[in-house]
Amino acid sequence: MITITDVCKWYGKPEVLKNINVTIERNQTVVICGPSGSGKSTLLRCINGIEKYQKGEIIVNGISLNDPKTDLYKLRRNIGMVFQHFALYPHMTALQNICIAPIKVLNWSKHKAEKEAMVFLEQVGMGSNAQAHPAELSGGQQQRVAIGRALIMKPQIVLFDEPTSALDPEAIKGILDIMISLAKSGMTIVCVTHEMGFAKEVADNIIFIDKGEIIEQGAYEEFFINTKTDRAKDFLKQIL
Amino acid sequence: MFKAVTNNIVFFINGFTLTLELAILGIIGGIILGALLGLGRISKNKFVYYFVSVYINILRSIPLILVIFWFYFFMPIISGRSFTPFFSATISFIIFESAYFAEIFRSGYQSISKDLVSAALSTGMKHTQIARYILIPIAFKRMLPSLVTQAIITFQDTSLAFVIGLREFVRSASIVDNIEVRSIQIYGFVAIVFFIFCFSGSKIATYFETANKKTGLS
Repeated sequence: MITITDVCKWYGKPEVLKNINVTIERNQTVVICGPSGSGKSTLLRCINGIEKYQKGEIIVNGISLNDPKTDLYKLRRNIGMVFQHFALYPHMTALQNICIAPIKVLNWSKHKAEKEAMVFLEQVGMGSNAQAHPAELSGGQQQRVAIGRALIMKPQIVLFDEPTSALDPEAIKGILDIMISLAKSGMTIVCVTHEMGFAKEVADNIIFIDKGEIIEQGAYEEFFINTKTDRAKDFLKQIL
Repeated sequence: MFKAVTNNIVFFINGFTLTLELAILGIIGGIILGALLGLGRISKNKFVYYFVSVYINILRSIPLILVIFWFYFFMPIISGRSFTPFFSATISFIIFESAYFAEIFRSGYQSISKDLVSAALSTGMKHTQIARYILIPIAFKRMLPSLVTQAIITFQDTSLAFVIGLREFVRSASIVDNIEVRSIQIYGFVAIVFFIFCFSGSKIATYFETANKKTGLS
């Protein structure tokens, strides 16, 4: 579903991404971890074309991001994204945050968008907060809205960029539960996170990045128990 | 007291109406053009960025009175037809004030987290849609206090329209003064009217500032 081949990215020296090769199959959940500043988020942003790269190729759903004819706007409808600091539109209510894209991008009627958004908000226990502005919501509530904003577009892939790093412990569990059920429902997920409990439960592949390079990748057992490289071992010692 | 004013009140009202018309058109036009020029100032397109930057820097370096003069005397030569003083003044105000509004909008846009744009892009929105539904409304709300302040300045600036013969509020006062010779009374009245309008304006700016703090927009 996503094939990343020899991708390099640099702003100058040193390189932000070095010869990244990753293949992600349909319905897989892939966790990307590594020290801060290692290029995890940059890699994630390359997948939906928000960041450009200088070398290599990324193919999503059979469409090459390199191809100048590729309509990135259209491609991105299939790739949802969730951010560390939620990135909700502060001037809109929770409901409007979710509804704006389907109304403007997919030309849904306001009625249809609001109906679907309400179904989601009820599901995650936020029905009564539909008319609240982001500033009135807690971090966990904001992230629920942000997930709803991504899911209403019915994407085939969802990218999570440290979705729980800005949350307090209680809220983290709620968000992880939503992500786990999403993963189990068959969504293709690429998630930058240090939540190894999440990785253990649903990750098909764990990718460890340091200084822009993939140092190690493998399934949970392979990565955690039979860790091969010292760099990954050091990192795991710090976060576990 | 104020007899020189009350005797000529209709004349004053006409002048003030003209001032209001100039100010309202200048403010609305200036804000719309300024919002777009402000986008140019954060554009990654080098051509757009430099073009807009030159426009803004030139206009911010010359006095308004010159813009009004130049537009009134040169545009007919360039375009080959004449414009009414009111039309010339209105367009001059829009051109001039837009440069100031643009800088207010630019700082508003720059205060918006880059993630917000990424988030909007990731839902498939186009850059024009992001500008229209996300960037401009947020910058507008966030910068409302500064926009109101600039609007007050625009309102005061309209008195310069007399240089091309428009009989706005201050010009009306000077005409009345020439007949009645009651300068203190007349200009005192003009000052009071300006004060009431501008002071209310600055109170409105303060109100928006407090309101923004509540909704987390500031």
